[in-house]
Amino acid sequence: MTDLSVKNDRMRFTKDKRSSNLVLLAIVFDALYFVSLYQTDVGNYYYTWKIGASIVYNLLLLLSAFLCAEGVKNRKTGYTGLLIFLGVMQVVRMFYLPAQAVNATVTVSGVEIAAMERGQYAYLLICLGLSAVCCIVAAVNSYVNGKHLAAHLAAMENKTV
Amino acid sequence: MAQLSLQHLEKVYDNKVQAVFDFNLDVKDGELIVLVGPSGCGKSTTLRMVAGLEDITRGKMLLNGKDVTDAPAKDRDIAMVFQNYALYGHMTIYENMAFSLTLRKEDPNVIHTKVLAAAEVLGLTEQLNKKPAQLSGGQRQRVAMGRSIVRNPQLFLFDEPLSNLDAKLRSATRREILLLHKRLGATMLYVTHDQTEALTLADRIVCMSMGHVQQIGTPLELYDTPANLFVASFIGLPPMNFIDAKVESQGLVTSRFSLALSPAEKQALAPYMGKQIVLGFRPENTRVGSDFELKVLSNENLGMNTLVHGHVGADGKGERITCKLAGWCNYRAGDVVPISITRKHFFDKETTNAIKLEVEGV
Repeated sequence: MTDLSVKNDRMRFTKDKRSSNLVLLAIVFDALYFVSLYQTDVGNYYYTWKIGASIVYNLLLLLSAFLCAEGVKNRKTGYTGLLIFLGVMQVVRMFYLPAQAVNATVTVSGVEIAAMERGQYAYLLICLGLSAVCCIVAAVNSYVNGKHLAAHLAAMENKTV
Repeated sequence: MAQLSLQHLEKVYDNKVQAVFDFNLDVKDGELIVLVGPSGCGKSTTLRMVAGLEDITRGKMLLNGKDVTDAPAKDRDIAMVFQNYALYGHMTIYENMAFSLTLRKEDPNVIHTKVLAAAEVLGLTEQLNKKPAQLSGGQRQRVAMGRSIVRNPQLFLFDEPLSNLDAKLRSATRREILLLHKRLGATMLYVTHDQTEALTLADRIVCMSMGHVQQIGTPLELYDTPANLFVASFIGLPPMNFIDAKVESQGLVTSRFSLALSPAEKQALAPYMGKQIVLGFRPENTRVGSDFELKVLSNENLGMNTLVHGHVGADGKGERITCKLAGWCNYRAGDVVPISITRKHFFDKETTNAIKLEVEGV
């Protein structure tokens, strides 16, 4: 066996911890995002259905991302599609609450102030961005490894390795 | 592989209890040595001293000529297989077998190759993705052995590895260990209290009692020429029968019967003339004959042989003994059967040491 085929063969018995850990990291960045967002208290700007939708989506994301983490750990390539979707959604979310809030103003005690400060906006963008990158890199890594493993198993079946 | 030399090894615990006395053994390269004895005889303590898990109080241990008496366990390059397997339940078999190499930060590809090779040898290839809980006891024990094999140690130590298995599995795993030893050519030290394991596995047996080595020899030597009463009674199943006897000019006289002695026996027993000795004979060294009468207590048919338990003498008041008679017998309690002894052993009553005959096998 060559080094490459030994590396591929190892995948038969080892877990894809790198992809799994990346997905867990994406969850951590998402948590940093929503902790920062939900503790913002500027007038009543955030108290609309939008924040409710955001909370529900966060719960769904936590659940599905955790499922994906377990899936990719066990080298199930079917989860890569969902991971790509979650990554893309994190990017889309940048243009939802953070982008809208940073451009909005709220009147508190007769004073007009920004609904979100630039510093917090940047922080939230970084959290969502990193979360998205983690999801997408995990998906790509899992997919590539899965393909290599599938090819290796096929080669084993054909006794060409 | 390794040569091991244990010189005057002794173990005294902090509470002043001495577990091992003056243990001397030279293990040749590729040899399988079995330490056998009853519980508490010091065999596991000796093994643990070799492994480095117990300090050696006195004596010296040389591994391939290098003094490792005070070396820590991790530096001895010795692998030990425990009775309770000591597998990690949350890891797969592959991960369990690779664990020690992973800790040493060996190249993952090298680890993989070694684990696959060990799994192949042990017939565990199909089980590598399973968890220990999904395996049978025998398979778990093989995993424990595999974990040792991947390290390619100089010396393998086995501490009663088959004790947790049922009789059938124990027999099968015993054969596997024997095959493994032949295949690897490894030097092994194996501890057991089961004399069947000792007789079937060992190149040489070390028989221990109360911390003292009683005899070191091949299985046949221990069976055929036991050094003393302890070895004679411990090795062999059913155990050897013992009867007190007095050496007299006409032969050997017991409380129930007299036995004529061969010239070689007479010569060996000459120093004991008029003294009490112990006559020993194995159940399988008896047949229906004329040396003495046996009053039957019970009869156990084993197929090819029958174990007949009873008392010496027609009155049923002599020593209780067991005879292994050829064929299928149907004796009933109370029957009197004439028995002959085909092979005798003699022991000094005071020292319990065997009385050696000039010509063995007489």
